[in-house]
Amino acid sequence: MVSPFTPCVFYRDPMAALRWLEAAFGFETSLLVTDDSGRVGHAEMSFGEGRIGVGEEWGAEGLLGPAKMRSPASLDCVGTQFIRVALERGIDDHCAKAEAAGARITQRPADQFYGARVYRALDLEGHVWCFDQPIEDLSLADMEKASGLTITERLPA
Amino acid sequence: MAGFQPSVIYQDPKAAMRWLQDAFGLEVVIYIEDAAGGFVHCQMRLGEALISVGEEWAEEFKSPLQLGGKNTQLTSITLDGDVDAHCERARAAGAVIVAEPETQFYGDRTYRCRDLEGHHWSVSQSVEDVSREQALDRVPGLKITGWV
Repeated sequence: MVSPFTPCVFYRDPMAALRWLEAAFGFETSLLVTDDSGRVGHAEMSFGEGRIGVGEEWGAEGLLGPAKMRSPASLDCVGTQFIRVALERGIDDHCAKAEAAGARITQRPADQFYGARVYRALDLEGHVWCFDQPIEDLSLADMEKASGLTITERLPA
Repeated sequence: MAGFQPSVIYQDPKAAMRWLQDAFGLEVVIYIEDAAGGFVHCQMRLGEALISVGEEWAEEFKSPLQLGGKNTQLTSITLDGDVDAHCERARAAGAVIVAEPETQFYGDRTYRCRDLEGHHWSVSQSVEDVSREQALDRVPGLKITGWV
């Protein structure tokens, strides 16, 4: 299934970001649109069935209207979204490869109460990526018991 | 299933959940709170695809409300249905429409809006199959690699 949600991630240097995301996380550049001067107008990367957009700060101003799209590198390493990436297997190796390519690991791979093994990393400009791999199918009751949290499938009152 | 799931950060995630339900028709799949009734985590869905709604849970995350409206990422939504009707629903729920629905050279009809805390969303419906050659004819000067 192709998701209707495509996160678009903004960088000071999108061309460097494409190379880095390929080397560190194993994403593949699937579409690259550049203008006369070689600047990235729009780029897409794929990973499994997932897809992200990669763009330049302000670079898509005409398309975006008065939005202010900035890299975390321009905002004291703060971001307004992050991206969860589902892995089928090999999360520890994935983390090791990312770290070797320069990712800053902010949370080492660890099993979570909701039945997934998760690690978190910062990319070359400070965007946060959260990788998770399912390890166990748990019911909501199991998760509640393990965490002490209340878990429902609807909006709170 | 390997894939990407956007996680959007809000100062008031409970209000955001209601807003995303009203404006975009997203449905809550899982909502987690602590013993004191505090927000922990939420996932919402469109079709079978998920998005996370989160709060400012670590120092590297802030709502656009705290950043003068700046965004470091935006989320694009591809609809099966009518993008113009989606836009009217969002507008009625309080979305600020940044760009009205307009058909783009690459065959999508797209509108863009800001949500209740200033996150930008781009919502599209495919209305025409456009080949790489057609796209290049329409916008001279572009160089396109990988158009399929």
